Amino acid sequence: MSFTSRSARLAGLALMAGVLIAPATAVAVDYPPPSNPSSKPTAPKGPFKTYTVCNKAKKPSGCLKTIQAAVNKANPGDTIKVQNGTYKEQVSIKGRGKKYIKLIGNPKAPSKVILEGGNKLANGVFINGADGVTVNGFKATHQKANGFFVTNVNGYTLTNLEATLVGVYGMYAFNSIGGTMSNSTGAWNNDSGFYVGQTPPQTKPVRTILKNLKSYGNVLGYSGTNSRYVTITDSKFWNNGAGIVPNALDSEKYPPAENNVFTRNEIFWNNFNYYKGAPWPKRETSVAGSIPFPVGIGILLFGGRGNQVTNNKIYGNWGAGAALVQALTLKDATVGDLKDNKVTGNTFGVGGQDMNGTDIAYTGNGTGNCFENNTGAVTYLPTTASTFPACGTGVVNTADPDALGALLGWAIAEDHEAGWKRGTHVDKPGFMPIEIYVEGSVK
Amino acid sequence: MPDRLSEAAASRRTFLQTGGAALLCTIGGQQLTLSKPGDAKKADAAAAAVKRPAATIPGKEAVDSLTFGTPEPQPGGRAVEYWLEVRAVRWTIVPTRKDDWHSITIPGSSTFTALVYQLMTPGFASAAGPPSVPGPVLSANVGDTMVVHVRNALPDRLRQAITFHPHALKYNPEYDGVYLGDYTRAGGFIAPGEEFTYTYECIPESAGLWAYHDHGPNHTLNTARGLFGAVLIRERDAKIPDVESVLCFHSWTPPVTGLQRAYQCVNGRAFAGNTPTIRAKVGQDLAIHIVGVDDNFHDFHLHGHRWLDAAGDVTDNPSFGPGQSVLARFTVDNPGRWLYHCHVLAHQDGGMAGWMLVDP
Repeated sequence: MSFTSRSARLAGLALMAGVLIAPATAVAVDYPPPSNPSSKPTAPKGPFKTYTVCNKAKKPSGCLKTIQAAVNKANPGDTIKVQNGTYKEQVSIKGRGKKYIKLIGNPKAPSKVILEGGNKLANGVFINGADGVTVNGFKATHQKANGFFVTNVNGYTLTNLEATLVGVYGMYAFNSIGGTMSNSTGAWNNDSGFYVGQTPPQTKPVRTILKNLKSYGNVLGYSGTNSRYVTITDSKFWNNGAGIVPNALDSEKYPPAENNVFTRNEIFWNNFNYYKGAPWPKRETSVAGSIPFPVGIGILLFGGRGNQVTNNKIYGNWGAGAALVQALTLKDATVGDLKDNKVTGNTFGVGGQDMNGTDIAYTGNGTGNCFENNTGAVTYLPTTASTFPACGTGVVNTADPDALGALLGWAIAEDHEAGWKRGTHVDKPGFMPIEIYVEGSVK
Repeated sequence: MPDRLSEAAASRRTFLQTGGAALLCTIGGQQLTLSKPGDAKKADAAAAAVKRPAATIPGKEAVDSLTFGTPEPQPGGRAVEYWLEVRAVRWTIVPTRKDDWHSITIPGSSTFTALVYQLMTPGFASAAGPPSVPGPVLSANVGDTMVVHVRNALPDRLRQAITFHPHALKYNPEYDGVYLGDYTRAGGFIAPGEEFTYTYECIPESAGLWAYHDHGPNHTLNTARGLFGAVLIRERDAKIPDVESVLCFHSWTPPVTGLQRAYQCVNGRAFAGNTPTIRAKVGQDLAIHIVGVDDNFHDFHLHGHRWLDAAGDVTDNPSFGPGQSVLARFTVDNPGRWLYHCHVLAHQDGGMAGWMLVDP
């Protein structure tokens, strides 16, 4: 692909980028319209009841057969204990009348309490407008849309969960305030393992904490469209198409992603080229030939303001370890510009081994973006690292159209590996790098 | 609770013998006198009932409708960031249960629930160290901005708004961190679960060590039970001392702690061997910053040494009042075990004393 002039080149790239970043609407699912989450959640005072659910053939007295039956009976703050077993149902927890419900499966062995979607049900657990709900100790699998889906709430606790082989997001929080996701796994999902999106802007924000997560085999390890006040820490993202991708899109309210912190994570081997095969149907998007995101990127800031990438270990991503690209698909280009993002204190490679194809790539777009105290980084795009100012006053960002062109070229390349520089991975007990999916290896 | 006196047992006479003092608080328009163990609950209840101020300030004066931006560092400066979480912790005032100066046992439990500004890693991901009273020393240079993210992580039983308010930095009203009733700006009310980012300018006049503390609806009680610390602003090219200590002088009284007696403290501890021990060598450039964070006047008397005060006069016993700081900076010239203490002797005997050990 060649361009005759720089302006034509940029226009062409922008056009392609419009195709490039398609929203995750791979599966037709009826989503509720967003409504404002409550500004001040109030915990109920009780007294509280506890309900038990089991699906044994001969169920003991007092044991409800479906989780939904227990939810229907529960009042705010009640606890629902679900015994080991497989439950072929979507659990809906809707409205203020169900706030602060505790849905407890098997926190020590979540895979023993299975929400089976059968590739027919939309979600495993769906929480809409019920503040402060806890979901603890479940596995959701084969849902058409999402494993655990929270929307329009102020506060939630998702912990000790597994979400695998679902159509869109493993664990998904949308248009919500605060909340935590912890001690959980999202694997082999057809969009991202974990997602936080459309966070309402807040003067005094309630932070969303994602901690101790494992995310692998997904299109994206984490995706955060227009997410804000999210901290992701102490988590591992590996063997995804791309590891961590906060982004800005017009398809959701409140762009861009801002004031997020990604710290003390291990982001490695995100080279899963799902275009060459995956344990899910090939993605069908609204734009023919669209490509959701590039493959081989550890962490990608697609637009964003005030985000911090700090003290992470980033290695073995064949495209780029960390990449910063303006969200050039937004109608308002200024909203898509990168502003005041920091990449500091990260370690690239593993003692000089398992290097990223390019450690840090940055288009030079925007203002106030800075890079400091990163160790082990040896390769840059642009190669001169001329767009990588240190933090402090006088941070000057200078756009480099060639770097932008190169990055977009990587993404739109037919084999999705154009920007890759393969190296050799270090041995990591308990982990196996995956680039190509082996048919039938995951069910 | 074995370490609390019942109201009946805490007679006025007993209370005065233990060195207690009443706290007068005005919380959300309600005036309270905290005079005995257990009274803190009254203040907490009043603070929990304080409603969030309206987003729009009633425009009685033109100044109330002013809007303000976020300051930027001066050329060559940096934005120095800190992440602080306000938490409740169990805190022991006399961990050794001894006064090492007089070789005596300090009887009774000295453990109570304190509030702290806990230093966190970026994004409030995790604690950056153990919780402490005072909170961490927040340092920056002249020309920098200091960006302080404060998150209210108080438990439900202490549910109330808090703030962060530093002295001597330059800030606009949004970042004052003070609850002002109807006139409260954004930084003057951080409700539980919320965070707010303050941005301060470190101007030349900010150089020095200054107190910070809670200035929310319940700040009198909350400052007294641990929500305080210090900011340290240096000239950009200032020489860093070889040894530097920050000592916060304050008291913990029965109405605040619920304990049976009052403690006169340095950095949350009372009595030598519990309070900070300063260690230095002869010839080292030593700086000791002392700041008062309670309602009393104190002195800082250090044995065996002397230095010039801000006026250029020799001293070994400067006085300072509430919210005021003094600096003792000198070249260490006298080896040995030395005592430091407040020269208000009732404070000294109540625990406001410690060691400085100088090696030859």
